[in-house]
Amino acid sequence: MGTGIASMAWRNLWRNRRRTIVTLSSIAFGTMLAILSTGFGDHNFSQMIDLAARLGGGHVTLQHPEYLEMPTLSRTALGASRLREIALADPDVERAMLRIVGNVMVMSASQSQSAGFIAFDPAVEDVGTISVLDSIKEGELFASSDARGVVLGARLAEKLGVRIGRKVVYTLTDKHGEIVQEAARVVGLVRTGAASVDGGLCLLPLDRVRSLLRYGDDEVLQVALFLGDQRAAQDVAARLTGAVGPGATALAWYEIQPELSGFIAMKVASAWVIQLVVMLLVAAGIFNTLFVSVMERLREFGIMLAIGFSPARLFSLIMCESLWLALVGLALGALVTAGPYWYLAEVGVDISAQLEIQGAEVAGVAMTPIMHVGIYLDSLIVIVVAALCATLVSGLYPAVSAGRVAPVESIRIV
Amino acid sequence: MSFIVEVEQVTRRYVQGSVEVMALRGLTFSMRPGEFTAIVGPSGSGKSTALNLIGGLDRPTTGTIRVEGRDLSALGARELSHLRRDRIGFVFQAYNLMPVLTAYENAEIVLALQGVDPAERRDRVMKLLSDVGLDGLEDRRPDELSGGQQQRVAIARAIASAPAIILADEPTANVDSETADSLLALMEELNQRRGATFLFSTHDPRVMDRARRIIRIVDGRVESDETKAS
Repeated sequence: MGTGIASMAWRNLWRNRRRTIVTLSSIAFGTMLAILSTGFGDHNFSQMIDLAARLGGGHVTLQHPEYLEMPTLSRTALGASRLREIALADPDVERAMLRIVGNVMVMSASQSQSAGFIAFDPAVEDVGTISVLDSIKEGELFASSDARGVVLGARLAEKLGVRIGRKVVYTLTDKHGEIVQEAARVVGLVRTGAASVDGGLCLLPLDRVRSLLRYGDDEVLQVALFLGDQRAAQDVAARLTGAVGPGATALAWYEIQPELSGFIAMKVASAWVIQLVVMLLVAAGIFNTLFVSVMERLREFGIMLAIGFSPARLFSLIMCESLWLALVGLALGALVTAGPYWYLAEVGVDISAQLEIQGAEVAGVAMTPIMHVGIYLDSLIVIVVAALCATLVSGLYPAVSAGRVAPVESIRIV
Repeated sequence: MSFIVEVEQVTRRYVQGSVEVMALRGLTFSMRPGEFTAIVGPSGSGKSTALNLIGGLDRPTTGTIRVEGRDLSALGARELSHLRRDRIGFVFQAYNLMPVLTAYENAEIVLALQGVDPAERRDRVMKLLSDVGLDGLEDRRPDELSGGQQQRVAIARAIASAPAIILADEPTANVDSETADSLLALMEELNQRRGATFLFSTHDPRVMDRARRIIRIVDGRVESDETKAS
């Protein structure tokens, strides 16, 4: 049956093909722009968060409740094994790593430099929990948690004037406020391209540092938790804070790294503003199409009212035309987006030249030189719903105008 | 029901720019079911205004119009819309078919609006199109039909729902005389065979010849009201 509202609306849409095609194109390309820019943000910000987590304290960190305010090596997390077990019982937590992190003074025969250190167990950690492990370009990682060895950032080693096999002394302040130090040979050099990492990172074996700092057997500074999806960090932190008891607290990555969090929030906000502007421009195009189409058909609407169409049905007809525009525009949008999306997801955009000029890190996190897209389903749903809403809202005024047509005036048979 | 349409002391005043126009000045007449009546009169005498008011497309300034006993001034927009859909058929001078619908769909549309079962709709519309001489043209769009054929579709649309009255505003004005004759013959046949009540507004002498009652309006009032002897 061709006299249904949907069928009539569909046919009306094609009465002016060129105008409809132009409008559909604007919806399609607006959708493509929104999907690709959001996809870049989702993938690359998520990747930055993962990198930050793998260079810092994980997506969620269990630590002493007062460590964030006063980060000293004396504010430890006791009962580390219990904390780890509690954390691994959470369905979103995939891995939990015991660590000691802080600042260290590294001395060679001729120089001394301050650096940040991560003490960990090489038997259980890998590149999935410490990203720089795949950037050990010279030498290798210390063999075990109680081995006497140190891995330095390549630039830090240069500043110290040491190379693989040379001895350095690292100095820490222990749990009781005493200065302690130990000598170790440089076993590996990390070269990431990020200045803060290459010039200020020191990797140490966990058990040796634990012993040096006079920590107990089940005492560490933090338990770094790694999630399957970084977006669950807030919920996991909230759940674990309640579960671990008063001796520790759970903090999400953005609480530990507010600089990175602020950078991402700013980028996401500016992307949304751009998308809002694009959406408004697309909506203005749809409004224009529908409004002109309604104005051209006033006489026809008068006739329709005369033969028994109700104003509500005319309203529905125009809204249905608007809905068709949205659906076809989105389908077209999916078609034109598929190719570029696939290319950008698989091949990506090489920004290494820009990184060489601007530096390879943002907020202390090394950036990958190839940018890919990878949109979250949630974001995709938001874009589709926003496009649908923008199209339907654009049709409201023309639809109301159609429903308000005065039959006698529009038919002009007086 | 004795009268299908009752028009009592109806006036209609318009303001066009700064000029006030009295289109109707106390129009009064009534019609019984099965009539084949023409309202005639010079241009600007108020013929089309009268049809618009009876069809519920416009409201009188004063006076009362009843269709099948229902006072139109007491009906809201929604009720008027239902009245037009269910009880009144319109045939316009310029055909005014939906350009995106086929002949069949144009004839069917009022029945669809009424929610008539699709199978029943199909039977009724196919028979109707056959009655108005449009066999084989069901799938043509208005721009693929001649003026006369379009007006036949418009007549089919007007009578499809078996309305109480069909209001035809200058239905022969845009067609040649041969087509006008055939359209009038068709409407006369529908009047006689189906008992459809027609009210024309016209200048066309051919319509006046066929009409069995002629209401002449001058300056918004009935000047004469003659029923021809059968």
